[in-house]
Amino acid sequence: MKIKVATLYVEDQDNALRFYTEVLGFVKKTDFSQGPYRWLTVAPAEDPNGTELQLALNNNPAAKTYQQAIFQQSQPAIMFFTDDIKGDYERIKARGAEFTMPPTDVTGSTIAMLKDTCGNLIQLTQLMRW
Amino acid sequence: MINREQYTSGPANVARVQKDGEKWTLILVRELRYAPEKVWQAITDPAHLREWAPFDADRNLGTAGTTVKLTTVGAPAPRVTETTVTRADAPKLLEYTWGDFNMRWELEALGDGTRLTLWTNIGHRFIAMGAAGWHICFDVLDHFLSGTPIGRMVGPDAIKFGGWQRLNAEYAKQFGIETPAWPPNSGKA
Repeated sequence: MKIKVATLYVEDQDNALRFYTEVLGFVKKTDFSQGPYRWLTVAPAEDPNGTELQLALNNNPAAKTYQQAIFQQSQPAIMFFTDDIKGDYERIKARGAEFTMPPTDVTGSTIAMLKDTCGNLIQLTQLMRW
Repeated sequence: MINREQYTSGPANVARVQKDGEKWTLILVRELRYAPEKVWQAITDPAHLREWAPFDADRNLGTAGTTVKLTTVGAPAPRVTETTVTRADAPKLLEYTWGDFNMRWELEALGDGTRLTLWTNIGHRFIAMGAAGWHICFDVLDHFLSGTPIGRMVGPDAIKFGGWQRLNAEYAKQFGIETPAWPPNSGKA
């Protein structure tokens, strides 16, 4: 077994595709539709054959409640690891993303938090090495 | 009379696209040898829709103002959309939405038969897939109306079917769009 896809609920799939590709720099992996259902996945450009992120339309009332609640509590819906958090922060910010937390040292890592414009906070993490 | 295994889809000549700038409308036309009343029942009655359509309806679609839940058949996660029938002039014109798509069905008497036209504003990216899917649905509808149903062919059943793959590629070429790569690793993402 391996983890091939993780699901992230988004409020709007077109907007999510734009944000994750144009702002975050991911690549589109699969975009397939059946009637109003759309299967959409992206992967980081750095690891295009790695785990994919499914951008699933949040049309589920329970999932909507959960998404809004954790967003309001400033909790990230998903976390991505990077080896260059300062560089990523500058690049992504320059493309118009809104960070709610600039790169900040915490125990064992440096983290930053930004809005994905689709109802989620995402966290960037760089582990401290020593 | 044929069975499901013998079914083959004909040439990609059932669907066309009307382009109005960014707004594309898929138009499918099919001449059927059955009276408009019979075709009307096939596009409104849940028991009939189940024989050929890509969604299930929990109520009859034949009355304006009715709220109906449409369930996409074969989607990997449940996809239920609620719609209100906006026009239902039996047996001529039916309008409602399926998710974000406007669905307009027109039935014209043609001798003893019916010319059935569907207009739907499916987005560019999936318009060839939609054309291929509806093309097959209309074939299945024809068999159902003739009294020799071959069973609904939608979702996974359609995709596995070689005819759908060929139609998808042919319609994509006609409409001037890229064919979505499927399976994902078989081509460029």
